Amino acid sequence: MTDPIDLETLRRGAHLAGFAWSDAELEEIRPQVEAMLRMLRALDTVPMGDAEPTTLYRTV
Amino acid sequence: MADLFFTSMTELARMIATKAVSPVEVVRAHLDRIAALDPGLRAYITVCDDAALEAARAAETALMSGGAVGPLHGVPYALKDLYDTAGLRTTGGSRILADRVPAKDATVTQRLARAGAILLGKLNMVEFAYGPEGLNPHYGHARNPWDAGVHRMAGGSSSGSGVAVAAGLAPGSLGSDTGGSIRIPASLCGITGLKPTYGRVSRAGVLPLAWSMDHVGPMTRSAADCALMLGAMAGYDPADASTSVLPVPDYAAALTGDLKGLRVGLLRGFFLEGATPEVRAAVEAAAATLTHAGAVVDELSLEQMGLVPAASTAIVAAEALACHAEFLRTRAAEYDPDVARRLRLSAFVGGAHYVRAQQVRGLVRDAVDAALARRDVLLAPSTPLVAPALDARQTTLGDGPSDVRGALLRFTRPFNLSGHPACALPCGFTAGGLPIGMQLVGRPFDEATVLRAADGFQRLTDFHARRPVLA
Repeated sequence: MTDPIDLETLRRGAHLAGFAWSDAELEEIRPQVEAMLRMLRALDTVPMGDAEPTTLYRTV
Repeated sequence: MADLFFTSMTELARMIATKAVSPVEVVRAHLDRIAALDPGLRAYITVCDDAALEAARAAETALMSGGAVGPLHGVPYALKDLYDTAGLRTTGGSRILADRVPAKDATVTQRLARAGAILLGKLNMVEFAYGPEGLNPHYGHARNPWDAGVHRMAGGSSSGSGVAVAAGLAPGSLGSDTGGSIRIPASLCGITGLKPTYGRVSRAGVLPLAWSMDHVGPMTRSAADCALMLGAMAGYDPADASTSVLPVPDYAAALTGDLKGLRVGLLRGFFLEGATPEVRAAVEAAAATLTHAGAVVDELSLEQMGLVPAASTAIVAAEALACHAEFLRTRAAEYDPDVARRLRLSAFVGGAHYVRAQQVRGLVRDAVDAALARRDVLLAPSTPLVAPALDARQTTLGDGPSDVRGALLRFTRPFNLSGHPACALPCGFTAGGLPIGMQLVGRPFDEATVLRAADGFQRLTDFHARRPVLA
């Protein structure tokens, strides 16, 4: 998902998330979506071992 | 009486309790200063002139009749405009909620009122707390008071909280901190701000940005005043399931001034080497000051920090979108365009990335816990740079170029992920007179040690006592 993203992909993604954004609104964020997905890709490369998701810090 | 508006909350409380000054005088001094300076500084969204004066008169009456008084009796403060206030609008810095009037107070608002504090008004902020620069096109950009010549960022999202306290428009305020929104404006405005441990202070009645990352806490001109406010706010709240049942210690009593033997870990690598040279030098000088006072300072690098931006982005984006989905569908045009753009981005964060980010959060938490296993506090810059000009978008840090937004968040958000308490305080000034901030990070629920270290440093230095020159 680090390749350039086309408008149709953004349309579909927004639609699946339940938003009806205009092409202009989607075009405007396209570079930022690409940059964000490049950054998030770092999460896929981490050896997590048996780390469980920690949704909250801890409650006592 | 001169300079009541720059008198500390601790001293105001003492003066009021001993009848050296009337709460009415104190509140009036602040309201006069707000009227004189806020049109230029834009720290406030709503000022409660009449209600504050009425509360001050009631406080004076109670005092004169010999009734029991709380630790903040008659002391004024102000709230970031995302804390619910019964009968008083709470906008979240937005147009969308411009006319929203809550029916009841947030838990912390109630607790501060019970302690005797008097609300001066509601403070400017980034719309819905989503951004670190401190900008707000709806209510005007709060102005950093430290540079009369250049309009500089106040830092955000608690921009008005930082400006009001730095400029003497309130002796203390509350902010909220999802990625640094207390500590960033504290750093850029030269004040002291505490992000408590996640679960130490109730978030009930506070507009959320990202539930699992949001913290609320005090912003004042000293660690002693943060201790005073925290003591009045902290503790279990049945309305917020994340709050801890651990007892609330006497934070003020913890401020002994004794730094002998305090074990301090100076964070290099991601932190010090990422800061600009002036910031790095100031934090290293602070470490030397602590050493001179008897603290035992060693150096370390925290693992997993390179993953923090991605993990933090995934979590905040996904939770913020969940929070804003309805408004984004029905009232998108009313958002600050910049905030709306960032919320739209959030739709492209996948569920797997959100969960991976929560796994990374566990690794970050463990790394910070491990660093604190043999140390009392960690020391790092609060922000890698001082207040940028309002239109700055790019900057150069110690390890290369960065966008300003990412730079502002870089050193603070690791501890939103981990949940550890962190106190930002001034530790120097640039040659151009802009404040430099450092942060002290402690063990979970050990705000007392964090505040003791910060207070001890402030007893040895005067950075927190310097004031901006205002007309």
